[in-house]
Amino acid sequence: MLRGVGGAAFLAGSAAVLPMFGTPDRRQDPADCRAPDRSSDRRLIVSNWPEYIDQPDDGYVTTMDQFMKETGIQVSYTADVNDNNEFFAKVVNQLGACEPVNRDMFMLTDWAAARTIEMGWIQPLDAAKVPNLHNNLISSLQGLGWDPDRTYSAPWQAGLTGIAYNKAKVSEVGSFSDLLTRPDLKGRVSLLTEMRDTMGFLLLKNGADPADFSDDEWGVAMEDLRRASDGGQIRAFTGNDYVQDLAAGNIVACEAWSGDVLAAGDPNIEFVVPEEGLMIWADNMLVPNQAEHQANAETWIDYYYRPDVAAKLAAWVNYICPVEGAQAEMEKIDPDMAADPLIFPDDATLAMTHSFMALDEFTMREYEGDFADVTGG
Amino acid sequence: MSLVADDDATTRDDQETSNRDLRLTALTKSYGSFTAVRSLDLVVPQGSFFALLGPSGCGKTTTLRMVAGLDTPTSGTITLGDRDITYDKPYKRPVNTVFQSYALFPHLDVSENVAFGLKRRGVKDTKAKVAEMLDLVELGGQGHKKPTQLSGGQQQRVALARALINSPEVLLLDEPLGALDLKLRRGMQIELKRIQTEVGRTFVHVTHDQEEAMTMADTVAVMNAGVIEQMGPPAALYDNPRTTFVANFLGQSNLLAGEILGPDGDAVTVSVQGTTVSIPAERSHAVGGKGWVGIRPEKVMIAEVGGEIDAPGNRFAGGVVTDVSFVGVSTQYLVRMPWGQELMVFEQNTGRRPIFAVGTPVDLSWRPEYAFLLDASQDAKAGVEDGDD
Amino acid sequence: MTHQPQEALVEPDAVGLGSSGDDPGEGHETVRGRGGRFTGYWLMLPSALWLALFFLVPFYSLIAMSLYDPTGSNLTGYDMTWHVANYVDTIQAYWRPLLRSFWYAAMATVACLVLGYVLAYAIAFKAGRWKNLMLVLVIAPFFTSFLLRTLSWKLILADEGWIAEGLRTLQILGEDGRLLATPFAVVAGLTYNFLPFMVLPLFASLDKIDNRLVEAAGDLYASPARAFFKVTLPLSMPGVVAGTLLTFIPAAGDFINAELLGSPNQRMIGNIIQNLFTNQGDYAAAGALSMTLMIVITVGVVFYIRRAGTEDLV
Repeated sequence: MLRGVGGAAFLAGSAAVLPMFGTPDRRQDPADCRAPDRSSDRRLIVSNWPEYIDQPDDGYVTTMDQFMKETGIQVSYTADVNDNNEFFAKVVNQLGACEPVNRDMFMLTDWAAARTIEMGWIQPLDAAKVPNLHNNLISSLQGLGWDPDRTYSAPWQAGLTGIAYNKAKVSEVGSFSDLLTRPDLKGRVSLLTEMRDTMGFLLLKNGADPADFSDDEWGVAMEDLRRASDGGQIRAFTGNDYVQDLAAGNIVACEAWSGDVLAAGDPNIEFVVPEEGLMIWADNMLVPNQAEHQANAETWIDYYYRPDVAAKLAAWVNYICPVEGAQAEMEKIDPDMAADPLIFPDDATLAMTHSFMALDEFTMREYEGDFADVTGG
Repeated sequence: MSLVADDDATTRDDQETSNRDLRLTALTKSYGSFTAVRSLDLVVPQGSFFALLGPSGCGKTTTLRMVAGLDTPTSGTITLGDRDITYDKPYKRPVNTVFQSYALFPHLDVSENVAFGLKRRGVKDTKAKVAEMLDLVELGGQGHKKPTQLSGGQQQRVALARALINSPEVLLLDEPLGALDLKLRRGMQIELKRIQTEVGRTFVHVTHDQEEAMTMADTVAVMNAGVIEQMGPPAALYDNPRTTFVANFLGQSNLLAGEILGPDGDAVTVSVQGTTVSIPAERSHAVGGKGWVGIRPEKVMIAEVGGEIDAPGNRFAGGVVTDVSFVGVSTQYLVRMPWGQELMVFEQNTGRRPIFAVGTPVDLSWRPEYAFLLDASQDAKAGVEDGDD
Repeated sequence: MTHQPQEALVEPDAVGLGSSGDDPGEGHETVRGRGGRFTGYWLMLPSALWLALFFLVPFYSLIAMSLYDPTGSNLTGYDMTWHVANYVDTIQAYWRPLLRSFWYAAMATVACLVLGYVLAYAIAFKAGRWKNLMLVLVIAPFFTSFLLRTLSWKLILADEGWIAEGLRTLQILGEDGRLLATPFAVVAGLTYNFLPFMVLPLFASLDKIDNRLVEAAGDLYASPARAFFKVTLPLSMPGVVAGTLLTFIPAAGDFINAELLGSPNQRMIGNIIQNLFTNQGDYAAAGALSMTLMIVITVGVVFYIRRAGTEDLV
């Protein structure tokens, strides 16, 4: 009898405790979460993606070293951003509670940056302190829906998503239409698990604009994808392990990121601009709430938007340079690289780029769910 | 029931080959440089209770395992009647074993354990036979229990039933009573003998306990270091041991050093510490000039100096009692003789005379027909075990 | 033997009283002092706290999560509103991958059992002095990361690898046939990754079997095959039960093998839960699905253990 009473008490206690496991609303107002600026102590803490900045070599002075010498600001640089969701999980609790994250700046991809800005976790930049940003940013990265005036964000590097194929094994694959319907490619094609890139192309293929589409247009694009997947055209949805698959011969053509193709350096693997268009995306510099050295961060942004600095950086990091005029500077450093369309795409190419619109929480949930159903999570 | 002759020689041409005797011929087992069993020759008559007796490590268990088929001989043959089973697999031999650890299957109950052998041979209806066998070992009604629920003695009986139910031609028992306490052991010894008589099969019992062997067996073979030293009925072995090992291993013996003087009719005269003793020829097993004169402690009479001794025989004077042990039934004396040796004397406590105290001078005597003569080259300490119960 | 009382109070003035039937040297003594009877509970406290912190709290968190109001989000906050409909919704949406996960896990468990039993038997009975070395070799793959091991299977089963080529030449695989991105690859990956979990308990169980029992079976007219089925196999059942549980339960929730070696059609429940958590941020659905998985497995395991009935075996 005692055991029965004890058991019932335990259950009642448990039931009472459960509601305590809810989570709070994490929206903040940047105006309320501003720390006093201590930039006079000449320090700056930066978190970035790995292999995204030039490294010291014999006699080579890195852009960061040059910055520290010119401004006297000591930079503490850590490459601890490996994944947008992972980094998000790292900072959500502190930023959601208006607490400092011990960083003055971090870099996140467009959609993740949009989310943090929407949550009010990012400090607005003082436009007067970053004139180079507003003067030199390439046009295709201007006027984006989630930060049209670049009040909060500044692209660090940009990338293109397009098509890569192994020209030793198959004839040229020029469009997503080819990729998803050509019989000789059946079962030897892969797409990316990055929803915004893949669905961007499917929307383009079906005549919609990824920067502004309706729910019906999403449905049509989804159906198209499902058909291709069920029909066995698509072998797998991958992260960046598609490079090995392409080299190994498991796949012969795929959706690919420009930087990966450049880095692979394999003469047989070609990157093409699909007929439907390209998706462009960037990793953006953001100053979080409670940062103590915002002025120094702004100095950093302005520095890296100087064309000569941007060219130096672009020579090392094989991604799209977002700075106008850097190409001319690159002529002086490495003319071959200045001519490389994957680092300095020409205007015609840039005119074909599209970005994906920002989604609110529940639309994102629904769309990610639809996408996961087809891609296998 | 024919008894095997009281000799340890080979029996090659046996006129009773039609019998289902178990015959081991020149059986040898070596492990590399170590020889466990040395060219063993043995005949176990059909239907007898045969004991293989010896200390640990003498090779008796190895011999048993070879008969069971669990080990393969290095050389030699094992035949059952006219069938050579030397290299037959264990499950092909009409031989069953009761293991020292019982080896009952823990996942089966008693009935299933007992029925195991029958089932493997395809016998369909085992219930009746199992019940009959359980009654035989006095475990009727316990069939549903698991082995772990039984006492040691009960487990041993299940092991016996499990083996017997298959009506094997030879039943091997590997020290089956070793794990039981004294009282239970005594009881089981009587039980086993009874069952063997009732069932009429050949039992080969391996043990290191000489009392057990002598109690139960019709024939005992004493084994030492891979060879059989002597084989015969227990009484014959005890009365007339042929080697110092047998003399010391079975019961206890006093061994006195002696000079052999020569034959004297159907006896042999030996000079022992100044006294001349006469030993019957059939009890003399010595070759050469020296020998050990052996006499069992219970055959030695003890009396005060010059006192009257019951059965006069060889008399030795000048002894002094150095130790007295009262064992209830008897008193055991240690008597130091003038030449320094301590002799053991066991005297039944008939009550006729008070027990001697330590230090009393005494005379010893024994009848010559109880003494035996052993070869001097043998170790007088062979077979002596400390703490042998 | 006289019956001794269970506990004897040690009274200081009893020492000089002579024999009272209790020999102070033997028997059971307890000191009944203040707080003495609670010593046991105090000693339990550290492990109870550990259990509470690392098991109860996360467990409650998961239960609460499965009952969240799905209109909340990680950003705007979740409320626990006893929203049991989460369970119904997720099972309706994902029952196929759920069953598929159990099916793959079952196939992998059977494969592990067959392969693992042979291996464990060889190590236990035939290895002799190589026993320890072989055990180390069984565990050795664990020295590398789970992810790397699974990725290496991608190389082995690659379309242009020698296995796939060989099977195509032998006509076992069609002209367009491939090994990767098929249920076969996923189950093979699961089998490989969980084989040590099957081998080790099986080995422990087989090693414990007294060889004399097998000899006794032989003595009782059982051929080696019959002796195995009638004695060795039944006595190894505790190992079989432990091994199958240790393999099936984690395999059912696995997502790495399906992600790396399978195509979208081989999606397992683990992949879905992972996606719900990270990409979709739908904690309510993820929690409900996790709880469903846990409950189904627990119920299954209870029935399985009951039926295997190995409590009687030591």
